[in-house]
Amino acid sequence: MVEYGREALDFIEGLEKLTSVDRAMNAMMAGFRRFGFETLILTGLPNPEQRFEQMVLAKRWPPEWFKIYTARQYDRVDPVVRLCRRSVNPFEWSEAPYDAEKEPGAAEVMNRATDFRMARGFIVPIHGLTGFEACVSLGGEHLDLNSRSKPAVHLMAMYGFDRVRRMLAPPAAARKLTAREREVIAWSARGKSAWEIGEILKISQRTVEEHIVHARQKLGARTNTHAVAICIREHLIEP
Amino acid sequence: MIHVISAANRFLYEDVIERHFRLRHEIFVGERGWKTLARPDGREVDAYDNIDTVYALAMEGDRIVGGHRLYPTTRTTMVAEVFPRLASVRGVPSDPMIWEWSRFFVVKDRRDGKLNLELLAAVQELCLAEGITHVSAVMETWWLPRFQEAGFVVHPLGLPALIENQWTMAALIEISADTLAHIKSLGQITGSVLLRRGPQHSIVDRALMARRPATSNAA
Repeated sequence: MVEYGREALDFIEGLEKLTSVDRAMNAMMAGFRRFGFETLILTGLPNPEQRFEQMVLAKRWPPEWFKIYTARQYDRVDPVVRLCRRSVNPFEWSEAPYDAEKEPGAAEVMNRATDFRMARGFIVPIHGLTGFEACVSLGGEHLDLNSRSKPAVHLMAMYGFDRVRRMLAPPAAARKLTAREREVIAWSARGKSAWEIGEILKISQRTVEEHIVHARQKLGARTNTHAVAICIREHLIEP
Repeated sequence: MIHVISAANRFLYEDVIERHFRLRHEIFVGERGWKTLARPDGREVDAYDNIDTVYALAMEGDRIVGGHRLYPTTRTTMVAEVFPRLASVRGVPSDPMIWEWSRFFVVKDRRDGKLNLELLAAVQELCLAEGITHVSAVMETWWLPRFQEAGFVVHPLGLPALIENQWTMAALIEISADTLAHIKSLGQITGSVLLRRGPQHSIVDRALMARRPATSNAA
């Protein structure tokens, strides 16, 4: 009998010793490959004003698939993403409901994924303290997923996410935002969209989005809401 | 403030302890639907509520707004008695410096605010002061990312399992000054979150006394 439990816990302990996101992702891929997984993504879930690619922490995805997924904004119609937002429990992609007739976009995502050896998958939702939503999503063709292996994948995914998140979060010293970054976050706090902020500050929307991404990276924030909350809490902007 | 209630000073809090049993019933049975805890007298009390239990109860004036409890692993614990399979990989903890942490609750109108973080700070501050090195916990898996975000170092004792349709796991959480500092920074908490009224005793000493003596083979 496979010792799923011992291997998973040893894997989790091993994660702490890894010193780069790349090494952590390699270790995760090696660990998850035993269950038949071939692709992996650790990502926050975007709100309507965010782009999927801004939210990705780390991934091992076929580059072509990432290009298509982002260009066609598949995250907005992906039934797996939809269910993930409402779920605390992990689930197989096949458990995400959609109506193939009424939701052709959903059907399209699910079908095209199979072109990239992502016929089946398993997703672990991650909900943080400040309402932040993220997930670890794993895909493959021939999966070894059963009632004993699922809990192992579940636990490994949660710890893998946390390890990478911590490595990407900058130390407190590096949190200093530029005046422009603070300005952009302040307008975001007032509910302005990236486009509107661009209009107000007379810069391109693209530039606004870059400021937001940099600010979030410096603050270690997963979403704009989180960034706003941190800034208010640390008196970087007016509430 | 979060009141620390133990064997030494519980005589000051008998009414509070009673009221919190009813509040636990409302929240754990009523809201969370943990039907196995339901009791006809409307008090959520179990085998780990007794003279050895240490309660941390957050109060606003007379009102109980949240809390949790600690129980010595030198006595029989929930993990040992009810959920041993959740600790099947690393084993069930039994040590005077490891206490079982359970029944974490916050009243509805105080959820997801500062009180949450104060309660998390409370377990760290209390255990640090008492020389407790770890707390063990049985928790729904969705707690894990929340603990991690709060800076807790959480070591799983085994794989999660479905318990009453919720993914649940057992873990050991490290007690450290670093973790306490992290939560206090997150919650903008300055100073102590604990209030200790009346006579106090060493919590760990009581756990040492509770350790079962080795069975003697003397005829």
